[in-house]
Amino acid sequence: MIRSRLACAIIALGAGTIVPANASPKSATGPQDFTLEQIAPGVFVHFGRPLPLDAPGHDDIANIGFIVGDRCVAVIDTGGSVRIGRALHAALTGRTRKPVCYVVNTHVHVDHLLGDLAFKDGHASFIGHSALPAAIVRSRLYFLTQYAADLDQPPSAEQIVVPDRTVTQTLELDLGHRLLRLHAWPTAHTDCDLTVLDEKTGTLWTGDLLFRERLPALDGDLGGWLNSIEELAREPVKRAVPGHGPLATDLAAALQPERRYLRALREDVQREFDGGESLQEAIDHAAQSEKSHWLLWDSTHPRNVTRLYQQLEWQ
Amino acid sequence: MTAEHNIRLAAARLPALLMLATITAASAETSTATTEAWGFLRPQLYGDRQIDIADQAAVSLEAPATTPDPSATPLTIRFGEAAIGHIKQLRVIIDNNPSPLASTFDFAGAARVAEIGLRVRIDRWTSVRVIAETTDGQLEMRSAWINAAGGCSAPPTGGGGNGALGDIRFRNTPDGKSLQVAIRHPNNSGFQIDPLSGNPIPAHFISHIRFSAKGQTLMEVDAGISLSENPTIRIASDATLPEPVSIEVTDSQDAHFNASWHGPATGSETISDAAVGNR
Repeated sequence: MIRSRLACAIIALGAGTIVPANASPKSATGPQDFTLEQIAPGVFVHFGRPLPLDAPGHDDIANIGFIVGDRCVAVIDTGGSVRIGRALHAALTGRTRKPVCYVVNTHVHVDHLLGDLAFKDGHASFIGHSALPAAIVRSRLYFLTQYAADLDQPPSAEQIVVPDRTVTQTLELDLGHRLLRLHAWPTAHTDCDLTVLDEKTGTLWTGDLLFRERLPALDGDLGGWLNSIEELAREPVKRAVPGHGPLATDLAAALQPERRYLRALREDVQREFDGGESLQEAIDHAAQSEKSHWLLWDSTHPRNVTRLYQQLEWQ
Repeated sequence: MTAEHNIRLAAARLPALLMLATITAASAETSTATTEAWGFLRPQLYGDRQIDIADQAAVSLEAPATTPDPSATPLTIRFGEAAIGHIKQLRVIIDNNPSPLASTFDFAGAARVAEIGLRVRIDRWTSVRVIAETTDGQLEMRSAWINAAGGCSAPPTGGGGNGALGDIRFRNTPDGKSLQVAIRHPNNSGFQIDPLSGNPIPAHFISHIRFSAKGQTLMEVDAGISLSENPTIRIASDATLPEPVSIEVTDSQDAHFNASWHGPATGSETISDAAVGNR
């Protein structure tokens, strides 16, 4: 089974030093090996692990972190469990005494937002795409039943934080001499993708609009995603934090494998579909040339094909 | 109401029993899967009749070991050359689903069916079994394990794209031997929650589909809540399917949707009276 091999896989982390989280009393509840990397001045990232969503450690697969301004801190994604959220919180308080004023969720997936509760202190404002509240409400029951162990016990709907502020197109956040530009995208990876640009360092947090090494998972619209890739590739940024995988210093180049896979997926599933082939045949045949380039192929690719194939049926 | 409906409902009333069902390991010699749910269902469906393990060459079941989508898991059942034309009935049973009998296909005498494909909801880790009854009364079984979670309670997707309730779409392979029928229908399982209101969504599902070719019944399908949203059924033969192929669908609210396929030449020109099909 691919899972066991991947559990041993080593993530190629981006440039920078890996610093263990400060041993504050709170970190006792988090994983001992919670790493935090300063990838640019005041920009801290915890890089997630390449595990499937049903494996032990599945709550620690997304890249999450925070940006520190003169006045306060913005957290960008919080991990796949309250436990990981608390580990991030502990790591944060080990780095700065400034308060968290914003928690930004890049989209609705569990691996990015189940840790939100750790930051709910009555002060921080939770921010997401204008479609995020509806997406959370739509998915909440599923999260509660399928990811119950990743919440505080007993699990409850209130633990899944709905944003109090949303972004329809763009929004600027001022952290104190540090401006973040939030951009809400049309349906792509999901229907609520949000990117965050730290102007000061030219660092773009792409959320799951960019997957590196881990196979992109389609939960939105393939055409929309390819369009957003074209736009992202033109962004003049110095570096990008993908939703999964190592830091990118050349965003256009880092988007290339994802674009190649998504195009192959689109062409091949359309061809199988047009030829009257069944869903199973489409799963077996589509984009097989891509298989060797990606992690988690077996758990993600069939789902991508299934989603796309079903969309074609009712186009 | 048919006997199968009764069994489905009886099973649905016993979720606690089914939830508690523990799974015992497959026997190595026969590769059969035994679950408590099956132990409960077997006598109801087949009494003490002997059920043989089918030769893979005669009846085969293709199913993903881990489903790509618990609410739309593809199953493919194939009949070997010797079996084609000699199968009277095919049942698809998902042991650990709240309604284990996913569907029953009754084939007309001369139907040369080589393959049946369908998409099902899988609620949790389960054995899936297909049991074919031959025209001479033998029962032949194949089974597979599928790892999944949450297929019956997954919220409705709406399916995306276009289509009104009861729209029927056909798609064939160029050789004319296989035809896929997709029916626009929520096929609500009764275990789904309206994510916005928080209220349970009542079961609302396709209960029966009749396939006819050139005016002759090809097969009748009894179905239920285990079929996926927008149910799709694929049928393949070892020969070109005679045209037109007509589909008559009945749902659990007694709505009727009909459509006909007039072959690849006029493939896109399907006649559906779904818009006026409600009663």
